[in-house]
Amino acid sequence: MKTRRIVSIITKEYIHIFRDWRSLIIIILMPILMIILYGYAITFDIKNLTFAVIDDAKTPESRELIRGFTENRFFVLKYMDIKRGEIEPLFKKRFIQMVIVIPKDFSESLISNRVTKVQLLVDAADSNVGTFIYNYSNRVIQLYNEKINFKTPGIVNLKPRILYNPDMKSVNFFVPGLVALILLLISALLTSIAITREKETGTLEQILVSPVHPIEIIGGKVIPYITLGLLNGTIILLFARFLFKVPINGSLFLIAALALLYIFVALSFGLMISASVKTQLVAMLETLMSTVLPTIMLSGLIFPVASMPLPLRIISKAIPATHFLIIIRGIMLKGVGFWELWQHAAALSAIGFVLLFIATKRFKMTLE
Amino acid sequence: MRQIFYLIQKEFRQIFRDKSMIGILFIIPLIQIFILGNAVTTDVKNIKLVVQDQDKTPYSRELLRQFIHSGYFKINGIEEDYNKLSSYLDSGKANLVIVIPKHFQRDIVLGNKPDIQLLVDGVDGNSSGVSLGYVNDIMQNYQERLIEHLPELSLQIKNMHRVEAEPRFWFNPNLESKPYIVPGIIALILLVITLFLTSMGVVREKEIGTLEQLMVTPIKSYQLVTGKIIPFCILGLLEIMIGMGFVYLIFGIGIKGSFFLILFESLIFVLSTLGLGIFISTISDTQQQALFMAWFFMIFSILLSGFFIPIANMPPVIQQITRLNPLRYFIVILREIYLKGTSLKDLIPETLSMITFSACLFFAAVIRFKKKLG
Repeated sequence: MKTRRIVSIITKEYIHIFRDWRSLIIIILMPILMIILYGYAITFDIKNLTFAVIDDAKTPESRELIRGFTENRFFVLKYMDIKRGEIEPLFKKRFIQMVIVIPKDFSESLISNRVTKVQLLVDAADSNVGTFIYNYSNRVIQLYNEKINFKTPGIVNLKPRILYNPDMKSVNFFVPGLVALILLLISALLTSIAITREKETGTLEQILVSPVHPIEIIGGKVIPYITLGLLNGTIILLFARFLFKVPINGSLFLIAALALLYIFVALSFGLMISASVKTQLVAMLETLMSTVLPTIMLSGLIFPVASMPLPLRIISKAIPATHFLIIIRGIMLKGVGFWELWQHAAALSAIGFVLLFIATKRFKMTLE
Repeated sequence: MRQIFYLIQKEFRQIFRDKSMIGILFIIPLIQIFILGNAVTTDVKNIKLVVQDQDKTPYSRELLRQFIHSGYFKINGIEEDYNKLSSYLDSGKANLVIVIPKHFQRDIVLGNKPDIQLLVDGVDGNSSGVSLGYVNDIMQNYQERLIEHLPELSLQIKNMHRVEAEPRFWFNPNLESKPYIVPGIIALILLVITLFLTSMGVVREKEIGTLEQLMVTPIKSYQLVTGKIIPFCILGLLEIMIGMGFVYLIFGIGIKGSFFLILFESLIFVLSTLGLGIFISTISDTQQQALFMAWFFMIFSILLSGFFIPIANMPPVIQQITRLNPLRYFIVILREIYLKGTSLKDLIPETLSMITFSACLFFAAVIRFKKKLG
């Protein structure tokens, strides 16, 4: 292996990258836009839930109950006294999300019966919103009950303490995930495309007949993308740290070291794919379908792995990002060290070696 | 007409010449639907719980029993040493630690309101919010049951007159997240496949030089564009039909509304993604560039579509930006038709917005395409 040859391949690849400034801008810009979007975009309480009332009672008591809903920042009253036949069209037009039906004998029943039922018709197409509406309505009704009776005394005090992310800010959760996603994207997708491009245009064969060793070719092609990935990761972390004040409690050195390990795994994946496909389109679609989407969905980037059914929880263990997410979130937010994370580092290495093994086998086959 | 027909034939041959395309187009999306349909859940389950019970009385044990009984928690350990508790959270062996203090039972009986300490892993803010909600519910239940054992309070409670909600969950009585999420996945896959196929397909011909060969033939450029569009429309519709059939077979999620309405709306949507795809191909020179542009648009259409994050949860400025996103409308339309059986009449605003986008993107694409070639 000659360093001069590797260096010239690396230079060639850099020229490829920089010549295509549009792609470069996207590579740099995309994570920044994503951070800004995720940093500002998400709140988890839903406001402005629209509702209508069918008040068959029309008594001071029923009006008082309705006031409980309207004087609440979660609900917005849209219609009073609609007909029952109008409920479904209004749901379908998405004008309202809930209808409260107060029975005719509401006030009498409040005096004579211990429990008076009020119907809540909820548009539960989105189960999440449906649950939300129900819970908030219950809270409003609870307040009403306390007003007409007395406050139910608590027997126990609950003293929750939120660790690591006391304000439960979504940006603290998403930014480390973004690093994982971008590193994977650049390492797996770009390398698989870069190598397949040479195959497709026939230049790979030209290089192969030259005295350059295949390892030098691959190393030379891969190193520029590693630096690109690391650069991108750094940009994300800088933005996160200084614009959104995401804490980095652990060791930066440990982040960098384990990020390199993760990049190695992602590169092996890219190599494995590029070894078996012929065109860039197929390489891209395969990488997209087999690495990027599962990473977004199954690694715990957005949806918690623990809530998935058992087979998927097992599959998620084979996805590199699952481990890297635990590692980077652990280091950044919890400030833990290698000792708490070594199992995940070991899992990453194992996955990486398996992928690399398959990749070299496949490469040998295609070259022969 | 014949020329267009030949072009379509050529396009299909080109797509299917690579055998792996069949897998990519028809098999991988099904696997995706299957996995994603199971993975994407907004529910929070299997919360890892570590307990320290310093009291060990019937009351404290009853509280723990309620935690286990709720089905949301999984007890991952019982720790006697207070100083070791945080290490469970550090290593991820616990998401939640609950500490029941000494004299818990005695303090309740005496009315001293004992403190229950909770340590919550707040890394995933959303999930920890939800698990705190569960804890609150459990505590509420627990206290209601305890009150029966405290004579003075229980008498007061018995004399209460209260209002109770009687919920009816329309369109989704069991409050499942799947029927809501799965149609969205179909939309995502349709977007990914059509956008990438067109944007990269056209650039590929450019890169290899076959596009120029086509240009010197007497084919007119509108014929060329039509010849590109029709095969991808057909593929897109095929894709969505297979997707819908699969969703029905695997998840048992059927369409409440009209099947043909879905096809009609899909066609409009696909025209917008194809328009975008061709537009991307006209502004990029290599497949890699096209890939990145397509990727860029894809990520942001998905993020701003309301698929992951409900649009209502976004800040007002970003909510306005989402109006520029055809996928946003398409997902609403699919969900409405799937879950509520909404008819075209009630989907007119969304449909019109999609048509506007499709038309704009399409004309932009055709104009750029002509310019580029002419």
